[in-house]
Amino acid sequence: MGKKVVLAPLDPVHDIGLKMIRRGLEQAGHQTWLFPPDYSPQEIVNGIIEHKADVVLISRTLGYGVEEILARFVDLVDAAGVREKVKLGVGGMAIRAELAAELGFDAGFGPGTPVEAAVAFVEGREFKPSREGTEKKKIDMVGTYDYSFNNASIKAMLDNITNQIIEWSAKRSSPGVERAQLREEILKQEGLGRDTASLRKEYAKLCDDVIADYYTKGSLHAQTRGLEQAELDSLEQYVERTRARMRPLDIRHTRKKPAVFVQYGTGCPFMDIAHIKIAEGWGADGVVHFDPSWGARTEGFLEGYLTHQQDGSVITPENLRCIRSALEESSLWQVRAHRGLNTPETVVLAGECGADLTKINIVYGALGAGTDPSRLTVDAVAAIKYAARYNLPFDVVTNEELCGVPAHKAFAGMLIVANLALALGAKPILQPLFCYSPEVMINKAMEDNYIDFNAAKLIALRQIVDAPIWPGAPIGFLTQNEDRVQSSVSTGLHAGLAASLGVDAISIASADEAYSGGPIAGASRVDTLQSVRETFRFMGQAKIEPTRQAEDMAGELLAGIETALRETVQVGDFVAALHEGVLGNRDEGAYPGRSGKDTVTGG
Amino acid sequence: MNKYLERIVDALDIETFVICRDEDEGMDIIRKMMGEMGLKDVDIVFCQHRGPGARIRARGYIFRSGDHYGWLKEAE
Repeated sequence: MGKKVVLAPLDPVHDIGLKMIRRGLEQAGHQTWLFPPDYSPQEIVNGIIEHKADVVLISRTLGYGVEEILARFVDLVDAAGVREKVKLGVGGMAIRAELAAELGFDAGFGPGTPVEAAVAFVEGREFKPSREGTEKKKIDMVGTYDYSFNNASIKAMLDNITNQIIEWSAKRSSPGVERAQLREEILKQEGLGRDTASLRKEYAKLCDDVIADYYTKGSLHAQTRGLEQAELDSLEQYVERTRARMRPLDIRHTRKKPAVFVQYGTGCPFMDIAHIKIAEGWGADGVVHFDPSWGARTEGFLEGYLTHQQDGSVITPENLRCIRSALEESSLWQVRAHRGLNTPETVVLAGECGADLTKINIVYGALGAGTDPSRLTVDAVAAIKYAARYNLPFDVVTNEELCGVPAHKAFAGMLIVANLALALGAKPILQPLFCYSPEVMINKAMEDNYIDFNAAKLIALRQIVDAPIWPGAPIGFLTQNEDRVQSSVSTGLHAGLAASLGVDAISIASADEAYSGGPIAGASRVDTLQSVRETFRFMGQAKIEPTRQAEDMAGELLAGIETALRETVQVGDFVAALHEGVLGNRDEGAYPGRSGKDTVTGG
Repeated sequence: MNKYLERIVDALDIETFVICRDEDEGMDIIRKMMGEMGLKDVDIVFCQHRGPGARIRARGYIFRSGDHYGWLKEAE
């Protein structure tokens, strides 16, 4: 049976919330009277008596004097002898449930209360929030692309370089390649319940001493600590509790893409999981595993559940499985394998431990991350073959731009690796940086805005190939500062630009992106996810429009890419081209790495 | 009052993330925590709960309008 409900804003002007509630109540079949703003408490009480109301809903937005005025209202309701006959509810920006209870209301509704909650209160039933996000599905980032090339000249040069790389690497191997084969075998034999001691012995022979010591003496890397069984048990229970109450927010509003990725690598798989669960709760679609930089420069992987207080989380089969087990079913999971001496084995572990994506780029790893070009070329070819076998699409990141390499050279390198991936049966994802790079600063390409040059990158790439695009990493790199508002706004705006340009995914920063004094805090994860969500809500299907300059910049990028590829073809040897600076030279901040030098065998 | 708190113009915000069952528990934890820190006049400016816990912005008022402001005195 319908209730008689009086709605009264005990406030000078604000009554929007009550109007929304009135609509909800009337749709539910209740009779309502909405009083105008600024009625006195006595006038409202008179109205309650006149209409014989069953329920009274008061709203209050202004915080000043809220306690006094609401207390006076409740006193007047008492004095009029109607308190026992009506249910009193109060809501609004100035209201908290505890304040409402203190003042004698039957319920208090704070900011953000849905209309349905007020209707449930009127009807005397418990309010059950809708299970927003429970239907969330894992996003397929590569399914709709056919990787067809629109630029025959570029495709011909890429094929030339690709064939040379495949032919060159076919005769070569490395400790990294051999360890990946051994790791695969170890995992296979373990799965069959067989003894793997001899395989591990072989594995240790291919490792640096610090890792070999683990296999031969049982000693851990000095910076790491083994997680105890009691901690692992507690984690399992924590994840179960969290999962039971997980109701992820919808981050994209009316858009289907981009997928939003958050990068983690706190050093500890437990803290990683805490951050991942926060990110999932606030709508992240995927997470990216960051490994420590020493891990990339050390031959071999450790095993076991390991934590440390350094940047980046140690890759071990156990750590990865632990993290995988904590992820929501809908979350995409990327394990990076792009830059170091364990590239092929990382892809094996990513594939075996249930990752959805990986990350490989020879050029960045060799010119910006310190790995010897020939070593990484051999390793990356093996890694790409594993990526194809495990069906792990991978992004080809162009982080060398952050060293100072011009975008057109970084893109030429990215396209070489992408074309190599296609030749080896894998699915590459292009990852142009959305960043304020050194090249941009020097050339003042973003003097007016952060839009045109980023848009130009997308325009140029789409003129070359039909492939998924995932800007990062993270978007807005070097535009964020340590202030969380500035950082979050900057991230949100870059996300809006990326969405406008129709990309498939973005990696976003935390509000601590520019803070280098310590680890990222969980709250900072929420800040930027909220910022991105708010930006997507603001934009809906609307777009950010670049200026005409973007087209001109795209033309220059395209010409630069063609030149870099032509020069690589002319050198006739991809590794030599890396050393000669064709894809980024020393003046531009690209230095051929030395890690793993002289470790390539064969040839 | 703590001589450093006296230099704050009006309020001290604590921005954090608390692992908790729901918003009520999150707000209760933060109120008690701020009370133990010596902040008596506390408000929860923002609290949103999802999955593992709550993103909270809690405010401890040091001076409300009309108070005798400690920062009017010259710093020692």
